[in-house]
Amino acid sequence: MSINTTDGAQATYKQRYEPDDDGLRFQDLEFEGNFEGMEPIHDGIIGDKVLRQRAKSNVLERVSKEDALRAQFTLDELNDLNNYLSWNVWDVLVMRATEGVSGMIPRQEYETLAFMHEFYRWPELLRMTTDEVGAQGVLDIGAQSRSEIGTKVNCVHDWCIGAVGFGMGRCGLLALEAIQPSDYVEESNEILKFMQRVLWGKRQDGYILNSQDRYRARIHDQSLIDDIVGQLEDLEPSSPKHEAFTHFNASAELLAFLDHFDCRLGLGDTGPYELPNGNLLILRDLFVNEEEFHWSDVCEDAGLPHCYTVALVIDPQEMGLEEIRINDISTTFTRPKNYVPHIVAGAVFSREKWNTPMGEVRPIKIDDLGDHLGRIQQATLKMYRKFSRMSRRDLIWGGQYVYYVDMILPHLRRAGTYEKACRDYQLWEVDQRIANYYYEIQKRGFVQETAPNKIFSGKGYLPFPEGTDLRRSKYRWL
Amino acid sequence: MEVVAEGYNTFETHKSPRGVVKYLDSPQDVISLIQSGTLTEYILLVRGGTTTFLAPALSTGAIGVITMSGAPESHLGILSREFQTPCVMTAHLTNSDSRYEVGNSDEAHFDEIAKTLEGMTVQLDCAESEVGKVIAIS
Repeated sequence: MSINTTDGAQATYKQRYEPDDDGLRFQDLEFEGNFEGMEPIHDGIIGDKVLRQRAKSNVLERVSKEDALRAQFTLDELNDLNNYLSWNVWDVLVMRATEGVSGMIPRQEYETLAFMHEFYRWPELLRMTTDEVGAQGVLDIGAQSRSEIGTKVNCVHDWCIGAVGFGMGRCGLLALEAIQPSDYVEESNEILKFMQRVLWGKRQDGYILNSQDRYRARIHDQSLIDDIVGQLEDLEPSSPKHEAFTHFNASAELLAFLDHFDCRLGLGDTGPYELPNGNLLILRDLFVNEEEFHWSDVCEDAGLPHCYTVALVIDPQEMGLEEIRINDISTTFTRPKNYVPHIVAGAVFSREKWNTPMGEVRPIKIDDLGDHLGRIQQATLKMYRKFSRMSRRDLIWGGQYVYYVDMILPHLRRAGTYEKACRDYQLWEVDQRIANYYYEIQKRGFVQETAPNKIFSGKGYLPFPEGTDLRRSKYRWL
Repeated sequence: MEVVAEGYNTFETHKSPRGVVKYLDSPQDVISLIQSGTLTEYILLVRGGTTTFLAPALSTGAIGVITMSGAPESHLGILSREFQTPCVMTAHLTNSDSRYEVGNSDEAHFDEIAKTLEGMTVQLDCAESEVGKVIAIS
């Protein structure tokens, strides 16, 4: 399809929400994972359907609050979640993973170290947090996001607990032959239960992932949506005001990526929320100043807030929208791909700190964005210079901290356990096993070939063997 | 006018930027280009599909980008869409059989593309949904 054929086309995206619809394919690749010898699985809505059909338990269907509060998953549930997450990782990341070397940040190296670190260290931290606030309290951590913008308790962070900390972490350690499939079952349960509870509390519809709901993340209370809609300003396509808004969005998004070492944790989309006139609202949190990162000093010097929230409204009819996905790493993709010219209204909000009360979140008029844009560009250039002077080792460990700390930072902050994790559990210290892996993973193409192949083919997420004791940890290094 | 390279198109656009291809190999190359004040004269050629490497160039008005790896779902693909900067990703030369394979492409693959396109005046055609074209105009 070319850009010309979409002009004046009718939107068909609502067909994607009909029960029999299988969605569009956004890529040509196929997934096999642990389903060797069976029909390959595709991306999108059809992929979710097939995974559910092949599940042995009901954990991939809508589950009740009682299910979420239950102390642990059964072995079948663990394996169903393992299979689903491996497909979901492939679904959202297999094409992104073609991006190769950064030229700036050794991302594959820091990612690999981080997710193995997470698998080893998070179970104790998440158990401590659950002990502090209770299982209901973990649900409440997720539920609080329904009435907030500018919060990192969002799709990508919540997904990362299970998909990265459990899924990729276990997969990486299996590939490194540091663990066996029957090891760390109890710890896996701890991680996945925490993820399920936060996501269940946030969505409140029985699902935990956006892919289970045809890629919708409509988590916000109507009263919050109404408040935001009240601040929207109309945008004439191609007008200077439209350009000012979209350029601000792009520049803030760029800095959010950079502040998080080129990873998706800086970005958080929710929606699409259908407005009374049929247009679609997407809410986008852009975390441009994370105070826990020492390199964010340039953002602080530029006077940037913790988060800008961009509300953007798309006209689906004008666009001829065929499908819209807010995927589980909080990113919006559409068909046709280019939604930017079809933004017809927008608003921007600023949340100064992660815990600034919602009543103190400030709207910024689009005509006033110029000053903010200048400061964003200034911080971007300074941070870029800073990174360009950092050693490879510093860049790898910096990125490792972004993953390992930031993915659970918002949940620990809300639970009030972050300081305890730092003080009593030495959160910011690197485990000796991981320190040793620093050298190990850079040999024999492990980080460039072995780990990505295992992770993105889905073949490395080995199931827990039948009959494995749910209490099992790891007891032997042989 | 000859299509010298093709790749993934990150988003559909009527914008069809024209410029001299400049290969950027290091962050210092990026900083020097921005400081030169000539950023908008060039179509930027980079090896990776990540955002950070080109961050200041995107922010200050890059007109078009060609990458040798990555896809629209990559961070650079996402950001080029947001900036509305036409971008052809995982470009391959139309007169060569060499194709990028994750983890399997050797230096010769990237060198061939860089040496062929560097200094060439080109125009990007990003009107089609899936395929972006690099067209030589001199």
